[in-house]
Amino acid sequence: MQKGFPTISKEEQTRITTVVVRVAAMLLEYGAESRLIEQLSSRLGVALGCTSIEISLIPSAIVLTTLIGDSSVTTTRRAHEQPINMSIVHQIVTICIAAEKNPRDIMMVETKLANIHSNPYPAWLIVPMIGLSCAAFSHLQGADWAGFCITFLAASVGMMVRRALSSRNYSLLIVFAFTAFVCTMIASLSFYQGLSATGSIVLSSSVLLLVPGFPYINSMLDAFKGYISMGWGRWTQATLLTLMSSLGIMLAMGLLDIKGW
Amino acid sequence: MEWVTLLLDAMWAAIPAVGFGMIFNVPRSALPLCAVGGAFTYGFREVLMHHHLTIELSTFIAATAIGIIGVFWSRAYVMPRPVYTVPSIIPIIPGTYAYEMMISLVSMNTDGVTDALLSSFIENGLHAVSILFAIAFGLVLPSMYYTKRQKPII
Repeated sequence: MQKGFPTISKEEQTRITTVVVRVAAMLLEYGAESRLIEQLSSRLGVALGCTSIEISLIPSAIVLTTLIGDSSVTTTRRAHEQPINMSIVHQIVTICIAAEKNPRDIMMVETKLANIHSNPYPAWLIVPMIGLSCAAFSHLQGADWAGFCITFLAASVGMMVRRALSSRNYSLLIVFAFTAFVCTMIASLSFYQGLSATGSIVLSSSVLLLVPGFPYINSMLDAFKGYISMGWGRWTQATLLTLMSSLGIMLAMGLLDIKGW
Repeated sequence: MEWVTLLLDAMWAAIPAVGFGMIFNVPRSALPLCAVGGAFTYGFREVLMHHHLTIELSTFIAATAIGIIGVFWSRAYVMPRPVYTVPSIIPIIPGTYAYEMMISLVSMNTDGVTDALLSSFIENGLHAVSILFAIAFGLVLPSMYYTKRQKPII
């Protein structure tokens, strides 16, 4: 028993560690930036009664130590690849703030963590919306209305393909390459008998649904705030995704032998 | 008349911001603010470019502006900042430049290197890379300012 600290047994400390590392691993998997992961897990740990939390992050795993007085518990978790989900990150932020308002209430945190839901948008909403997004891109770049419609079609079908492949648990790299291939195949309809005068704009905006915006921005944010290895890891991931999409585009264009190639 | 075009373009730019917000699965309550952010970022950049600033500088200023606004929104609605800022910068991503760069690279491979292809490759590539960095720096700057404070934003 340490002086100055309320009695927390080793079992209780292990329980706290399990909860905190679960929160940290979820944040890492669903795409929070490193500083947020470190801040949230140490705030949660302190709220649950720890002296401090030490954490070490690499892109695929997490090592976390809770300190209570002199006794420390360390644990490691592997982070699995998940689609980015800001809704879950937001729910975890809310849980941490609730835990700070009622400190030492581990039961409440555990129940709330078990009730986290991923809140996905329904397919009938997201597929036309992504089609419309890419069509809006092509309109902003100056495509004509025939090009607008072709972009809408290509991006919607691409989003359906992406969802279908993701739900079958293919690697994200394969999903991106194949989606880019399908999008380019459909978008090259605009060259068929001069259907649209602005074919290259249609081709470039119909694959924009594959822009890895979150990995790029997260990698910059991490690198600038001192998490160099996380920044490099996420940068590599984003670059690989971009390369795989270009591979899909090149494959489709080579197959169709489009003018300008 | 120019203002009407600008407003219409800004409204078109709000659609991709919402669509990408859905891909990243942002909470439903954040979607309207993502739309406002996307429209604001695109419109602000258009205004700056209309006043003869280069596209890189205008992108940087617009991204910094949405980064600062994101801090206030995130404090008001208890939400991590990227929820608002990343969908908002999607409309200004240099997709066409990157695409043109790739096209000229592949044509150089198949048809041989010519001066026109080489200069198109370098020009488009420089534009794409510098705009990407302008976006990233613009978003990072506001949060760099706030990290020197000990108290977290949310």
